[in-house]
Amino acid sequence: MMLAPTYIDGSGAVVPQPTVNQDRFLEEILEYNERFLQVVSPVYKDYIDVKLLRRMSKIVKMSIVSARVAMQQAGVDQVDAIMTGTGMGCQIDTEKFLNAMIENGENLLTPTSFIHSTHNTMGGQIALMLGNKNHNLTYVHRTFSFESALLDAMMMIAEKEAQKVLVGGIDEITDESWLIKTQIDYYKKHACKNSEVYNNLQPGALSGEGSAFFVLSADRSEKTYAQLKGVSTLYKPRSNKELEDFIKRFLVTNEFGLSDIDLVIMGNNGDPVFDRVYEDLANGLLKTIPTGRFKHLCGEYDTASSFALWIASGILRHQHVPSTISQHPFKGRTPKNILIYNHFRNINHSLILVSTPDVS
Amino acid sequence: MEALIEKLKEQIIKQLNLEDITPADINEEDSLFGEGLGLDSIDALELIVLLEKEYGIRIENPKDGQKIFFSIKTMAEFIQEHQKK
Repeated sequence: MMLAPTYIDGSGAVVPQPTVNQDRFLEEILEYNERFLQVVSPVYKDYIDVKLLRRMSKIVKMSIVSARVAMQQAGVDQVDAIMTGTGMGCQIDTEKFLNAMIENGENLLTPTSFIHSTHNTMGGQIALMLGNKNHNLTYVHRTFSFESALLDAMMMIAEKEAQKVLVGGIDEITDESWLIKTQIDYYKKHACKNSEVYNNLQPGALSGEGSAFFVLSADRSEKTYAQLKGVSTLYKPRSNKELEDFIKRFLVTNEFGLSDIDLVIMGNNGDPVFDRVYEDLANGLLKTIPTGRFKHLCGEYDTASSFALWIASGILRHQHVPSTISQHPFKGRTPKNILIYNHFRNINHSLILVSTPDVS
Repeated sequence: MEALIEKLKEQIIKQLNLEDITPADINEEDSLFGEGLGLDSIDALELIVLLEKEYGIRIENPKDGQKIFFSIKTMAEFIQEHQKK
């Protein structure tokens, strides 16, 4: 299904790399040797009233900053809808509240961490900050969370229910959640250099966190620098062929051929078992197209594809592919059409297609 | 009483995560809500829990809250009075 034109007018990200107030676009990366990657905290007081800041946990703060940066870039102070996607929501406050329940024998529970423990806290806090009473929805759908929010935003624009939509994907990591997921080999148990993650043989992915927000618009303006062409998801393909057919069908639906794609940004996360799915595609269906990777920058989290979209739209804006995302020096033509392909443990697969804006 | 006031100031700063505020910044007679420290209704709930958790004092009538939580001094007086009982 092709949707109406949806333009990207602004984007903001808070991830384990310096992305806020940076003149340079991912030219250098921070190297870590950690169990999981955590965001580089911006100066939150520059974006959030100190009185409000004291109640906010990390995930809320990073959401607000990335949303504010996106809105500043787009030159808007209001939107018609706010769509957020998060796989795990406010884990820090949830843990705080649950730990207090255990410690105090289910008595004497304080309200703040409870109020801030729900998944829609980020969307709610952004709306409060903006004084925005419009449509506000949070998608909690594991590694489809951001894609679901994005698709809903695009459909709202297509149905002319909204002109401008703020859409974002956010997740945070905690010691506790990292520990639980290492027990089932989702995440690596021992510290790992992010720059060498794709060659690390420990089971699981290098875990991380991040937030990325976008201002989508129904109309092209002088602020527009990218156009969302499509988003699609596939659940549990039974074979590589089914996956390849999904990609081919997605491109045909959006009136693209493989040769039109200038760059594929892939979601390899260092998991030696499941990265094979990416490698098979890179050596098979997509072998003629240059590829880039991004999870050495941010780690794996349920809404990491939102950061991939931040990178893709940044490439279109800067007309430059940073060497920090490509395996080999990028020698292709200046990208006009970028495909993002992400999957988690061969279960949730997603595609996002983003291009330079069509000439209207 | 003075020691209790200082302890209360520290507990409130910690419980309410009052960044950039030190005990010396809080005047014991200034109002906690509105113009003074600028606390709100969620903070009031946090203070009720603090009283019960740290001092074992339960506020039976919510209407009393306005008087008890007017300032650090009124809170300290309330605690002292109820701890004697």
